[in-house]
Amino acid sequence: MEDLQAFFDAYQTTIGFIGINAILALSVWLTLYTGQLTLGNAAFMGIAAYGSALLTLKAGFPFPLALLCGALLAAAISLPLGATVFRLRGVYLAIATLAFGEVVRVAILAIPLTGRGQGLVGIPTKTELWHIYVSLLVIAYVCARLRISSAGRAWSAIREDEVAAASQGIPVQRYKLAAFVLGALIAGWAGGIAAHFNFAIQPDEYGFARAVQILVFAIVGGIPNVFGPIMGAIVLTGLPAVLQPLQEYRDILQGTILVIVIVYAPRGLATLLDVRRAARLRNVGAQDVA
Amino acid sequence: MADQIYNAVFIGSIYALFALGFTLVFSVLDILNLAHPALFTLGAFVALFAMQQGVPAALAVVVAFLVCGVAGVLLDRVAFAPLRRRNAPPLSAMISSIGVSLIIIRLIQLKYGPDLQAYPQGSLPADVMTVAGLQIDTLRTVIIGLAVALMVGLTVLVRRSRLGRELRALAENPRAARLLGIDVDRAIAATFFLSAGLGGVAGALYGFATNSPFSQMGLNFELKAFSVMIVGGMGSIPGAVLGAYLLSFGEVASLTFLPSELRDAFAFGLLFIVLLVRPSGILGQRAVDRV
Amino acid sequence: MDRRILGALGALAITIAACGGTATTGATVAPSASAAKKADIKVGLVVSLTGVGNVYGPVQKNGAELAVARINAAGGANGANLVLVTDDDQSSTDGGVTAFRKQVSQDRVVAILGPTLSGTAVAAHPVAQSAQTPVIAISNTGDGIVGKCSYGLCDYIFRASLGESTAIPQTVNIAKSKLNVKSVVLMYAQDDKFSSDGFAIFKKNLESAGITIKKEIAFSKTDVDLSAQVAAALAETPDAIVDSSLAGPAILILKEVAKKKPGQLVIGGNGFNTPAIITSAGAAAEGAVSGAAWYLANPDPVNKDFVAAYKAKYNSDPDQFAAQAYSAMYILLDALKRTPNVTSVLHDKLRDQIELTTGVKTPLGEFSFNSSHDVNQKVYVVQVKGGIFTQIN
Repeated sequence: MEDLQAFFDAYQTTIGFIGINAILALSVWLTLYTGQLTLGNAAFMGIAAYGSALLTLKAGFPFPLALLCGALLAAAISLPLGATVFRLRGVYLAIATLAFGEVVRVAILAIPLTGRGQGLVGIPTKTELWHIYVSLLVIAYVCARLRISSAGRAWSAIREDEVAAASQGIPVQRYKLAAFVLGALIAGWAGGIAAHFNFAIQPDEYGFARAVQILVFAIVGGIPNVFGPIMGAIVLTGLPAVLQPLQEYRDILQGTILVIVIVYAPRGLATLLDVRRAARLRNVGAQDVA
Repeated sequence: MADQIYNAVFIGSIYALFALGFTLVFSVLDILNLAHPALFTLGAFVALFAMQQGVPAALAVVVAFLVCGVAGVLLDRVAFAPLRRRNAPPLSAMISSIGVSLIIIRLIQLKYGPDLQAYPQGSLPADVMTVAGLQIDTLRTVIIGLAVALMVGLTVLVRRSRLGRELRALAENPRAARLLGIDVDRAIAATFFLSAGLGGVAGALYGFATNSPFSQMGLNFELKAFSVMIVGGMGSIPGAVLGAYLLSFGEVASLTFLPSELRDAFAFGLLFIVLLVRPSGILGQRAVDRV
Repeated sequence: MDRRILGALGALAITIAACGGTATTGATVAPSASAAKKADIKVGLVVSLTGVGNVYGPVQKNGAELAVARINAAGGANGANLVLVTDDDQSSTDGGVTAFRKQVSQDRVVAILGPTLSGTAVAAHPVAQSAQTPVIAISNTGDGIVGKCSYGLCDYIFRASLGESTAIPQTVNIAKSKLNVKSVVLMYAQDDKFSSDGFAIFKKNLESAGITIKKEIAFSKTDVDLSAQVAAALAETPDAIVDSSLAGPAILILKEVAKKKPGQLVIGGNGFNTPAIITSAGAAAEGAVSGAAWYLANPDPVNKDFVAAYKAKYNSDPDQFAAQAYSAMYILLDALKRTPNVTSVLHDKLRDQIELTTGVKTPLGEFSFNSSHDVNQKVYVVQVKGGIFTQIN
């Protein structure tokens, strides 16, 4: 029992980050579900991380309020951004959001308030594991409900064929924007939680590498339902921790596993598990069985 | 001023070579090959290995081209072809390439260590000449010349040769290309061979110029490549070249007029504006894309 | 087919986790000490074996392992063998915190050496502090690491790596007095903690020494070409160019400077103190000046012995990072010898003994801690002469 406690203490950070990554994966899932590829969620995470950390550190805000303000700040910034970039499609949209992410990173480096290259240190570690997992449950529930609601059906329709959806009277831009802003809000919440989990944050943590990582979680997990991204986050965050003893070869194993998983389950692990439904759809000739 | 221009030409040439390989695969196959930076790095290290065995620098570049070209073909066989067979969405290919990238870079690190390496003493020209008050060094001038030759060569290949026609057909419509009797598999293999080969050469040449090849060297170019492709025009080879030099000159110019902290903000801000105003870039042909 | 693969992967993962988990927890119970064989003492080492800091991590590991091997061969700490528990901080705050948490909770080490980067340290050190596990920082040279820490109380944290706030003033002094520097251009990588801290320290010291800073030029640590920045710097015709960055950008700068203005003096911080500067920049590195905690050619006998032993074991010369890791292990050994009954609990006794460290002979010279738990050692201002770091102060 004592060993279990020690194990738990030791891996507290990993367990925490599995939860945080699951939340981030869900934030990207929303936009992927509408068929949009955006790489901006790492930047929204960063905006909220710095925002909430500065509020607790410098202005003595209570933790929940700071989290909320951080997330709202990210969502507020995502609104005009989304309105501007959603004219773009596919890889152009991805790169536009990526460019935005880089501008945010540079802004953080240039503004003295954020500690610039030195990062922010001494952030009160208010986040407990239960904060993370309750948030995850709530967010997963909300996303699951949205998916089966009319909004979710609209998003699905937009993903299948934007023009057809528009011709059916679906206000496509509004729905895409809603998914984007909601995604930013969720990513921001995750950012605030993560910032108060580890004493210190640096601008590097919210750049291109993180954006790609979040995307990988969602795609490896699969986007047909909310379990996909969560599963992707669990597997891909837990994997490096599990492979720690093999430190030397960890990256090679991780890369190999990534390739194997995606080749055998190109639409994600979640679709693998939903074998019956996939088979049924394929039998009627459906191409995209998500 | 003159040597600022010389610098911009040099680094623009490296950007161009890097972006060309990237663009080639994207335009023919719609895949964002995120293993390209790893192939770039591989080129520098293959050259290093060859030179450590006594191979002269010029030949080492050729070796880098060939080895990386083959690596590119293998990359396709292992990571992309199975996905094509299963009709997988394009995003899966991107993820697959990330996995391969991790493997390649770690393998390089295991063999050479993570430290900055150096090419064998005396294997690279080190002389500096003064031409009309401008200080230029032999190594960089040769690199610029070689890069330009490769760019011209690739453009000629794509425009005039049969392979080029096949690639362009493939880019337009893979199914139609197959129906026209084009050996699609061979064309795809050729695409990856060229793309990876060029990337490897870019890596070797950049490694020579800095004399400090290291396992993470490719990653810094990745983001620049996106800018290059967007500004110049996705899927356009002359576009990639144009975009590369615009980026390098832009970076140099912004240093003069902007506080240095904001330099990157300028580059990405510009990218953003280009995307909003003219997403197809300067020479791009495809304004709207399938997701 | 697909399900089986998933199943196999899952089984593999669980197996690895099981193996990884039990191997270390099994050994924490110390056998009752017989007169001849004492329980092993576990010492933690957290360094960057992957990620951007992995240029330094492996040599730090070498230095520490060499020290442990020699210490055990010479009888250990009062008869008890040292066991080194090494973990990778992945050059990130998450990785550092995870590694530290594992070592204090699961491995129950008596002390931790590391992590590699200052940016990781500010997140990881508090973990050890709250677990009352002493930490000796072996390569963190930024601000707020010891003494007055940015995160609050840090009386369990010590530093054996010469802080930039101690080294840079010496470097600036020599620049002014021996090298006649009156004006500089200050270049720095703005996006990493080490370089940003160094920049602030350089700026402060240059200003108080009355040296004019003609221009400040920021660049990114990932920049692939610095020729434009160097050209801008040289345009100001400074007596010296000061560069606060890690080795990668430093090499680019040295090469550009040598091309455009051979003989121009370049001064750097701790990022210059690695042999990669000389091997990659070659002749361009000639004349580069930096303030170091250690240099290879130091004729001190303890250093010569260390260098010989390192060369024999690893077939290459050690560098400053290896020397600091090696020295920290001996400093810890010295304190362990003076601490009775050191186990995985009661770390405050070990901490108290570390505080009393004085006169320990290391390759860095004679070592002691000052009242802020910071390094008390001689600063070697070195200049590259004939391809070798040579002391000039």
